Amino acid sequence: MLAAGAGLLLTTGAWLAGQWLDRGPPSWSSDERRLMESLWIASLPPLPPDPTNAVADDPAAAAFGHALFFDPRASANGAIACATCHQPQRRFTDGLPRGVAIGRSARNTPSIVGAAYSPWYYWDGRRDSLWSQALSPLEDPNEHGSDRHTLYELVRDDPAYRRAYEPLFGPLPASTDAAAVDRVFANVGKAIAAYERRLLPGPSRFDAYVDHLSRGGDPRRQDHLDASELRGLRLFLGPARCTECHNGPLLTNHEFHNTGLLPPPGALPDRGRFDGLDAVRRDPFNCLGAFSDDPSRRCDELTFVRDGVELIGATRTPSLRNLGATMPFQSKGQFATLAEVLRHYNDAPAALIGHNEAKPLSLSSRELRDLEAFLSALDAPIAADPALLAAPRGYDQAPASGAPSTPSSRAAASRSPSVSTPRPGRRDGTATRIRMPSDSARSCSSCSNCSSGDGALATRRRKTPQR
Amino acid sequence: MAVLPLLLAAQPALAHGGVVAEDDLCVINIGYLKAHFKMFVPARSGHREYCEDIPLRGETVFVMEYLHDGLSAAPIDFRIVRNTTGKGNFARLSDIDALPDLDAVTVSRHPSAVAPGVYTALHEFDDDGEYIGIVVAQAGDKRYTAVFPFTVGDTGAGVWPWLLAAIVILQLNFWYWTRRRRRPHAAAGVLAALLLAGAHAPATAEEYSAAGDRFRVTATPSLQPLTINRMHAWDLVLTDDNGEPVSGARIDVAGGMPAHDHGLPTQPQVTGLEAPGHYRIEGLRFHMPGEWELVLTITAGPASERLVLSLVL
Repeated sequence: MLAAGAGLLLTTGAWLAGQWLDRGPPSWSSDERRLMESLWIASLPPLPPDPTNAVADDPAAAAFGHALFFDPRASANGAIACATCHQPQRRFTDGLPRGVAIGRSARNTPSIVGAAYSPWYYWDGRRDSLWSQALSPLEDPNEHGSDRHTLYELVRDDPAYRRAYEPLFGPLPASTDAAAVDRVFANVGKAIAAYERRLLPGPSRFDAYVDHLSRGGDPRRQDHLDASELRGLRLFLGPARCTECHNGPLLTNHEFHNTGLLPPPGALPDRGRFDGLDAVRRDPFNCLGAFSDDPSRRCDELTFVRDGVELIGATRTPSLRNLGATMPFQSKGQFATLAEVLRHYNDAPAALIGHNEAKPLSLSSRELRDLEAFLSALDAPIAADPALLAAPRGYDQAPASGAPSTPSSRAAASRSPSVSTPRPGRRDGTATRIRMPSDSARSCSSCSNCSSGDGALATRRRKTPQR
Repeated sequence: MAVLPLLLAAQPALAHGGVVAEDDLCVINIGYLKAHFKMFVPARSGHREYCEDIPLRGETVFVMEYLHDGLSAAPIDFRIVRNTTGKGNFARLSDIDALPDLDAVTVSRHPSAVAPGVYTALHEFDDDGEYIGIVVAQAGDKRYTAVFPFTVGDTGAGVWPWLLAAIVILQLNFWYWTRRRRRPHAAAGVLAALLLAGAHAPATAEEYSAAGDRFRVTATPSLQPLTINRMHAWDLVLTDDNGEPVSGARIDVAGGMPAHDHGLPTQPQVTGLEAPGHYRIEGLRFHMPGEWELVLTITAGPASERLVLSLVL
């Protein structure tokens, strides 16, 4: 009897000790491993070609686009560049709920990092290429507030731009009729896209962990993820249902989903993809339009796209590789912290319009904390040449005075190390952590505010709470 | 029992004019055009949905989700007026028409606009009180109007008798509708069972097949191994129950994830190929891991059958 009692006590003790020691997952199932490998940056395929943009992978176009991206002259008040809202040091976002430029944008500024992999752009997918996307903000009265004629004149009158433009796209048309100006406008977008295509995510701590596992490493003997993050990873792969939408190596399915978000004060519920699809079909710069460089006009995404009322209120799944620097979150910056985002998905409330595709998760507050901890391990530095993360050299002091900007001839660009296409996610997992541009990048994107002499705007931006 | 039709006939007036709670769904009747009607005060009560009265004052979102396609193309005009008719929740269109100056009591006017799919409007109420919403939809050359009285904020004890009456009506309504709907439910169940009985789809690594009573289909994805988030095509071989290839069939593709209650993210298209019985489905993409179904509705001559290919990604 005594022996039986002691045996029971020992067994219970051993089990309890086992529970206590078992801080990480004891092992991963083969399904979990497969899923982890599918999310691994090393599974990222090579950058897909963009046949609609003949200069997409041309280094000279990237150098030209790089200059345009940081050029505030392409705006109504000479103070707004792409980099005003897409700030390199914030993973090409602005830290605001909704973008602020000439006016206030309707939605949150998304990151550009890894965007070249997406078939759709904007939260509502109202553009279908990186280059057609780049055109819209230039003419949006709340953003750059400029127009295609001004862009045409900028390229025509800036000798450096003209020298960059003509070898890529042919002689600048002398006529300023609508068709000629539209063509130049589209080409400006194609150069900006060539630059943006080079902004790709590097490996995160999660990737280092998967790399460790792939080499047969012990799931627990590693220093990439701590116990809470490992518990969060298990939830992420399973009960939290995150990978239903945040899947693949960029942690997005590039699709549109209604997740029942509330509109911010003063705004109607976001109609999202329902209207975005209508807009992209009507966009003259879309894949099927006259400005595509693909003679086959083979546009699978646009041709086979599905419409219907289930798109009401649906917005695009964002990548989770930039969370560390891109708060506030969601399409209208509804949530300041990841904890709020996770609470929202845990509750999955009924949507105001359409219906919420997410289902309540019933996770405990500890589980939500673990999940949040894991998300921080997904944060990945940008795997691009640091030179691309600041205004081109020799350019940042000049623009407001109208002096010629960066020399962008094909020869100069091809010598530059800044235009080589990086290959993220090498299988050996040793891709280096890129040092984030600190001072240089900050001065360059703030220069796009202050160089114009529009002190009021620059001051307003600085005072905006950076939540 | 004889009283039931009478109550139902009287019910629209009791239940706030054009807005009625039907079978758990708040419905606005604009002539014969129906929409799911709801109101929200997001800043104060988040996702809480109101149907007939709003207990809180504040910025209110009005939503009409169309239950009738006709509304997607109809210009809709929405106006909110103070309820000065003296009729309270009994106010009707004739009472509105009798008002001497509609503009004088209008607190919010949303000019006529076409809103495909869903109509939304925003108004911030500064005062508690009784209001009337007026929705006018122009369908073709006809105008349809819905008038719905509602209250904003704390309305005191005056509403209780009406609330009680509404509950009784709702309960009767509920009985009425559940009784009416029982039969079609059973029929749908039998139909679904019949449809599903014929098809089964054993999945192998590279090839998917399904066989029914009339047709047999073997499908090979162009993407090997099959992965999520990539646009690709599938090649199909269609044969009849004797194994003879079937050309010239019409094949409609649908499908989705049954567990998530959603369809395919794309609208695939099928073309017949030259080889007998060969077809190609273009424009397929699966955007989530998990169990998917590809539902092929095959029509060749008089024969028609629905085959389901199941796959796990």
